[in-house]
Amino acid sequence: MARFFIRRLVLLVAVLFAVTFLGFSAMNFLGDPLFNVVGLMAELDCEAIEAGSAEDPSLDRARSDCETVAEARATYHLDRPVPVRYLLWVGDMFTGDFGTSFQNDQPVAEIIREKLPETLILLIMAQIVSLGVAIPWGVVAAYRANRAFDRGSTVASFGLLSIPNFALGVVLLYLLSLRWQIFPSAYESDSVVGLVFSMVLPAATLGLPLAASYQRLLRTDLITTLQEDFVHMARAKGLPPMRIMFRHALRPSLFSVVTVFGVSTGAMIGGSLVVEQIFGIPGIGREIVTAVVRDDFPVVLAIVMLVACTFVIINFVVDLFYSWLDPRVRAR
Amino acid sequence: MAPDQTTAAPVPLLSVRDLHVRFPTERGTVNAVNGVSFDLYEGKTLAIVGESGSGKSVTAKTLMNLLPRSALVSGDVTYAGQDVRALAAAGTKHFFGVQMTMVFQDPMTSLNPVKRVGEQIAETLRYHLGRSRSAALEEAEDLLDAVGMPEPARRVMQYPHELSGGLRQRVVIAMALACQPRLLIADEPTTAVDVTVQKHLLDLLDELRRDRGMAMILITHDLGVAHGRADDVAVMYAGRIVETADARTLFVDMRHPYTEALLRSIPRIDDPVHHRLDPIPGRPPELISPPDACAFAPRCLYAQADCLDGVPELSGLVGLHRFACLHPTGTERGVAAATANRAAGVTVAGLPLTGDPGGAG
Repeated sequence: MARFFIRRLVLLVAVLFAVTFLGFSAMNFLGDPLFNVVGLMAELDCEAIEAGSAEDPSLDRARSDCETVAEARATYHLDRPVPVRYLLWVGDMFTGDFGTSFQNDQPVAEIIREKLPETLILLIMAQIVSLGVAIPWGVVAAYRANRAFDRGSTVASFGLLSIPNFALGVVLLYLLSLRWQIFPSAYESDSVVGLVFSMVLPAATLGLPLAASYQRLLRTDLITTLQEDFVHMARAKGLPPMRIMFRHALRPSLFSVVTVFGVSTGAMIGGSLVVEQIFGIPGIGREIVTAVVRDDFPVVLAIVMLVACTFVIINFVVDLFYSWLDPRVRAR
Repeated sequence: MAPDQTTAAPVPLLSVRDLHVRFPTERGTVNAVNGVSFDLYEGKTLAIVGESGSGKSVTAKTLMNLLPRSALVSGDVTYAGQDVRALAAAGTKHFFGVQMTMVFQDPMTSLNPVKRVGEQIAETLRYHLGRSRSAALEEAEDLLDAVGMPEPARRVMQYPHELSGGLRQRVVIAMALACQPRLLIADEPTTAVDVTVQKHLLDLLDELRRDRGMAMILITHDLGVAHGRADDVAVMYAGRIVETADARTLFVDMRHPYTEALLRSIPRIDDPVHHRLDPIPGRPPELISPPDACAFAPRCLYAQADCLDGVPELSGLVGLHRFACLHPTGTERGVAAATANRAAGVTVAGLPLTGDPGGAG
């Protein structure tokens, strides 16, 4: 078990380095970061200005601009090559300094602390919705495989899988919020209950398509498991069908669902960009959209790293979960 | 109303009458079981013997209501006066697992891989007998001890993959016995375990059966397994019982050529060294649209023209020595049929007889 942890930890660090280095390089090559800091001043030919006559008062303004540029270069280490800057940035991060936003000089750590909880609540609720819908749905479909309900489920799940997030969000918003007024249409943060309640629709928008794919996987695995000898044995022991389903068949049938659970976290974060936009949730998703558009690369990099970190950690937890699901994994 | 116990005819514990099982498939309907009838009395062992595809396992699964929903079943199954198929359809609680239960062929797959073995045994006790968790686990330990499991206290906490095949099958047996069933169906209980363990397990089953006064249906492809353990033997072929009798009669004075062929195909301890076994020529028949003839005729050394003309009926009454053969071995008709075939060098069904076909009784 200890070796397992260490191997995973090494992997985590490797993934984080790879992702952040790629992100860092991409942001640097896509545009001159200096331009993002000082704007058009970055275009000034400061060497020419320095070389010009010191007495010329028409160059005073330009000289002070050049000083600003030089200062910015120094602050953001822009006079160093990209790999060095990357290492400096990583070093800062270890001290808890994620840099400051180019837009409003707000520390990135503060932005994340502000926006992350909203997104986390959204993602957790979305996974709760998807698993909460998919498990009973998959169980009933598998129990009555190829009957009317199961066939209907196939159609419904393909329907859910093929609706884009924004369309599903708008439909849910229209039906459950505007038409029947069950859920609020906009983000509320006055109270915890209000917050959770206002997150139901966004979570459903993110979670329902995922529930459809979980349901497909669970149904297929359950149908296979239900043909296993140990299920026959449980029936021969006289246990009732639903007890066999939940106590014997469900756990060994969860592998695919758990695997996709891990992988889908990435897709969900992607989906949250759209959903946060539709429902006006001030979360990480909205933040990264703005930051990318404005080339605010300390913010973008920090969020990319955060997402990568979350992804690797969740998949680490998923691996631990496998060994709970099947004790034979532990023996390996 | 007072029943006179001494003169009342004994009522069988399990009575099966004219059982038919068919499976609709894309290629056609598989006639897996075609009119099986037998009685099993309290405390007795019935061995059902046959090759794979003979319908013996399907018969067992039908009794336990374990067939897939698509299976078409007809016939009567009566357990202690109750209609088993009706009980199953009504979802009656505490019948299967308490009155009758089953041990499966492969202990590698018949235990849930993700649950501790103690839990799997205790589960039955908790559900059927309402035991508390701790009481049930203690009883599970006792049961493991009763089936000869070494270190039962440690085993209850282990997972199936930590046990060998033989030990796992002991767990399965302990699980089946938990609620003291009156009828145990053992479907090839030793086929999947090491030869060295087979005899131990069979003797254990026999001993447990005797101690608990349990009735048992022992399903096997190996007549040798049935020998000395079964009170009655039913030989199945192509979904029918082709011969049934008490064990002694069947082994010594069999009538059906298939029974004879089965006996010849198993090695015996008193055979000379390097004695050639006689395999049964050909393969088991198709069960989709079988011909209206004796299903064994194409492989039978005794086959005559009338064998291809309709399915022979099982002779006699349930409970007696019955066989479904027109030219039974050990009778004049059988000897005549074998002699005629040997002279012709080929049976009516086209089976060539080469060299020594194995004497005809």
